[in-house]
Amino acid sequence: MEIKFGLISCDSHGQLDRDAFTARMSKAKWGDQIPQVVETTTERGEQVDRWSIAGKIQGTGPFGGGVVNCPAAMGDPTRRTHPHRWEEVPRKVYDPAERLKALDEDGVDAEVLYPNNPVSNFSFAGDPDFELDCVHAYNDAITEYRRVSDRYVPIAIIPYCSPMETIVAEVTDAVRKGAGGIVLLAEPSLNIPGVKPTNDPWWEPLWSTCQELDISISWHGSAGLAGKLAVPAWKGYTRAQAHTSSTSRLCATPSQLIPNLLLSGRLERYPRLKWVCAETGLGWMNYVLESCDHEWERRQLWREGFETRPSEVFRRQIYVDFWFERAGIEVRDLIGLDNIMWESDYPHVTSTYPQSWDWVERTLEGVPEEDRRKLMCDNAVRLYKLGALSC
Amino acid sequence: MQLNYGLVSVDDHVQEHPGVWTSRLSRERWGERIPHVESLPNGTERWVVDGKPLGLDGIATAGAVLPKRTDEPQRWSDGRREVYEPGERLKAMDRDGVDYSVLYPTVAGVAGESFGRIADPELEQACVQAYNDWLIDEWASTSERFVSQCIAPISSVEAAIAEVHRAVGKGHRGLVFPSIPMELREVPHLNEAYWDPLWSTLEELEIPLCLHAGASASIQAPADENLSPILAETFRAITRPASQISIFVDLLLSRILLRHPRMRVVFAESGLGWGAYLLEFTDHQFEEDQVHTEGYELIPSEMFKRQCYLTGWYDRAGIQNRHFIGLENILWSTNFPLATSSWPDTKECLAQSFADVPDAERDQILWGNAAKLYRL
Repeated sequence: MEIKFGLISCDSHGQLDRDAFTARMSKAKWGDQIPQVVETTTERGEQVDRWSIAGKIQGTGPFGGGVVNCPAAMGDPTRRTHPHRWEEVPRKVYDPAERLKALDEDGVDAEVLYPNNPVSNFSFAGDPDFELDCVHAYNDAITEYRRVSDRYVPIAIIPYCSPMETIVAEVTDAVRKGAGGIVLLAEPSLNIPGVKPTNDPWWEPLWSTCQELDISISWHGSAGLAGKLAVPAWKGYTRAQAHTSSTSRLCATPSQLIPNLLLSGRLERYPRLKWVCAETGLGWMNYVLESCDHEWERRQLWREGFETRPSEVFRRQIYVDFWFERAGIEVRDLIGLDNIMWESDYPHVTSTYPQSWDWVERTLEGVPEEDRRKLMCDNAVRLYKLGALSC
Repeated sequence: MQLNYGLVSVDDHVQEHPGVWTSRLSRERWGERIPHVESLPNGTERWVVDGKPLGLDGIATAGAVLPKRTDEPQRWSDGRREVYEPGERLKAMDRDGVDYSVLYPTVAGVAGESFGRIADPELEQACVQAYNDWLIDEWASTSERFVSQCIAPISSVEAAIAEVHRAVGKGHRGLVFPSIPMELREVPHLNEAYWDPLWSTLEELEIPLCLHAGASASIQAPADENLSPILAETFRAITRPASQISIFVDLLLSRILLRHPRMRVVFAESGLGWGAYLLEFTDHQFEEDQVHTEGYELIPSEMFKRQCYLTGWYDRAGIQNRHFIGLENILWSTNFPLATSSWPDTKECLAQSFADVPDAERDQILWGNAAKLYRL
C-alpha cells in the first residue's frame, strides 16, 4: 500500500455488521444462540438494542454503554453519547468502505483492527463447538476488511477450548484470508477453566505456527487480567471514577505479564516470534526492562540458562503502542526506538480521532524527524508488512 | 543530622530474631499461638504465627548477603548477622555508603500485614506491640541512624490509632500499613471514611503512611508453575513493585488525599519506572472521563505531587523522567537485605542512575527529601 500521511494506528477496533454471525453460522445448528443484535429492555424501562451471545444479552459492561462501543465516532465532544439502537451506529464504525473515509479525514494511512462488540477477550468460551463456530465466523468477517482494502490489518481470535491442532488450523486459515496477527489473553488458564497455562508445552505448536506464518501475537489492554490484579472495587465510586481507576491501572497490567514472557524462555526458543502490547501505553515498559535487567544482573540469571539480557530479547521481539504519553516518549531510547508504535484507538472513548495529528504533534514535540518516522509509521510498516517505508 | 555519604535509604528491612515475641508475650496466656520458630523434620526451620506457617521463603530474608543471592537461609544458624544485629547492620551500611536507614519489618510482613490475619484482636495487638517495642529497644536505641517505623493492628480504627499514638510516643517515625487491609480481615474498604480518624492522626503526628509493595498476592500476577524456583522468585521480585500500580491509582481517586491534605504517603519498593506513565495516564483518563467535574479540586498528579513519594533503587528511566514525577516526590533506598538490593554496589548503581543529574537534584533525591519527610 501507498503511505500518504505517514501515520499508522496499531490499535483500532473493527466493528462487524449486525449480521456478521447470523450470515455465517448455521441457524439449524445454533438457532438463537448465534451472536446477534436483539431488542431488549433496560432496567430503566428503555427499549434498546444489544448484542446477544448464546442467548445472553451482553450488558453495558465497563466500556460499553451501548450496542457498539464507539463514543469517539458519535460527534459528542464529551464522549458520553453511546448508540443504543443499531441505526444510531455510524457506518464509519462498521462499514469497511465508509471507514476508509474516517481514516482519510483523520490523516491515518492504515489501522490494525482489534475486536469490538460483542467480542472481547474470550467472549465465546464454553461449549468448544459453539466457540469454534463463532471464532471462525468472526475471523471470516473481520478479514473481509482486508479484502476491501489493504489499509486494514485484521487481528484474528482463537478458539481456546479446541484442541491445539484446531487452533493452529484456524489461525492458519485466518492468516490466509488476510489476518495480520492474533490477539491472546495474557494467561488464558486464569480466565477459562481447563485451559493449559501458556508456559505449558501444549502451546508450543501455536508459537511455532505464528513464527512460521510471520505474524505477531498481541495482548490488548490488560489482556483479561484486569479484574484479577485489582484492589477490591470500592462501591463509593461513580461510574466515571471507577472507569478512570480501572483503565489507568489495567493499561499497565502487561508490566506483570511481560516478565513471564521473558523468563519463560519462549522468545529465546522462537527468536523470530513477535509480540505486541496494544493499548497499554509505553511508559511502564521502561520499568519492566530495567527491572528485568536489574534482577538478571543481581541474581546472575545467566547461570540459570538465561544468556541474553532481558532488554535485548525485548528489543528483538516485543512492540508497544502509545497515543498520548510524553513521559514515555522522553525515555524512548531506553525502551527501544524500533519497538514503539502509534495507535489511535478509534472509535473508543480515549481515541485521538478525529484530531490524531494534533495529538501526534503534542506528544512528539521536539522528537527528531528520524525517530518520529519510526514511531508513527516505519515500525508498523515493517511489523505488519505494509509495503514501502515512509522515508 | 550528620551525613558522611549522602544517602538516606528509605526502605530496608530488619530481621526479627526468634525471641522477639516469645520474650514479650505471655506464654501462659497465648502458648503456641505466639509467633515463634519451629524445626521441621528435614532440619530446616520456619516461622509460625498463631499456629499457621508464615509465607516466607526461609527463616529470614537475606539474599543480598548470602554467597548465592537467590538463596534464603533455611535455619536461623545460617542467617547473617548484618541482617539481624544492629551493630553489624551499621557496618554493612558503612560499607555501602548509607547514612540513615528507614526500617521495615520482615516477619511482621514487609508491609506490616502478617498480624492483621490473626482472628483474635487481642493477640493481634500483643504481636504488634511486641514488634514496635522490640524495634525501639534493640534497633532505634542503638543508633540514631536507624529510623524506626511502627506497625498497627487493623482490627479496628480505634485500635490502630491507639497503637500509633503509643508507638510514636516511643520514637517511631512512620506507619507501615498493609494497603489492602480488607483482604486480611473483615474491615471496611480502605477508601471508606471509617479510616479517616487514622489519617487525621498521622497528619497530627506528622508521620507518613508507608505502603510497601508485596502487601497482597491478589494484585500480583502468579508465577507460572513451570518456572524454576529461582525464576519464580525473580518474577515475584519484578511484579511486586508493579503491583503498587493498582494501589497508587486507587489512592489518587479515593479522595483520601483531598480530605487529608497534610498526610504524606510513601510507596516503598515501588521503583520509579512506572511513575511518570501512571501520573500522565491517570490525568489523561481523569480528563477523558470528566472526573474533574465530580468535585475533585486537584487532578491526580497534583495530589501526588503534594503528598506522595515513590522509591527507587536502580532506576535510570525514572531519574530521566524525574521532572514528570516531581523532584520532591522521589526517595531512594538500597532495599537491604533483599536479593534485589543494590548492596554492596550502591555507589556504582548511583553512578549509573545519576550520571547526568545536577548535584543539587541528586542530593535532593538521595537524602534531602527523606530528611525533610522524616525530620532528620
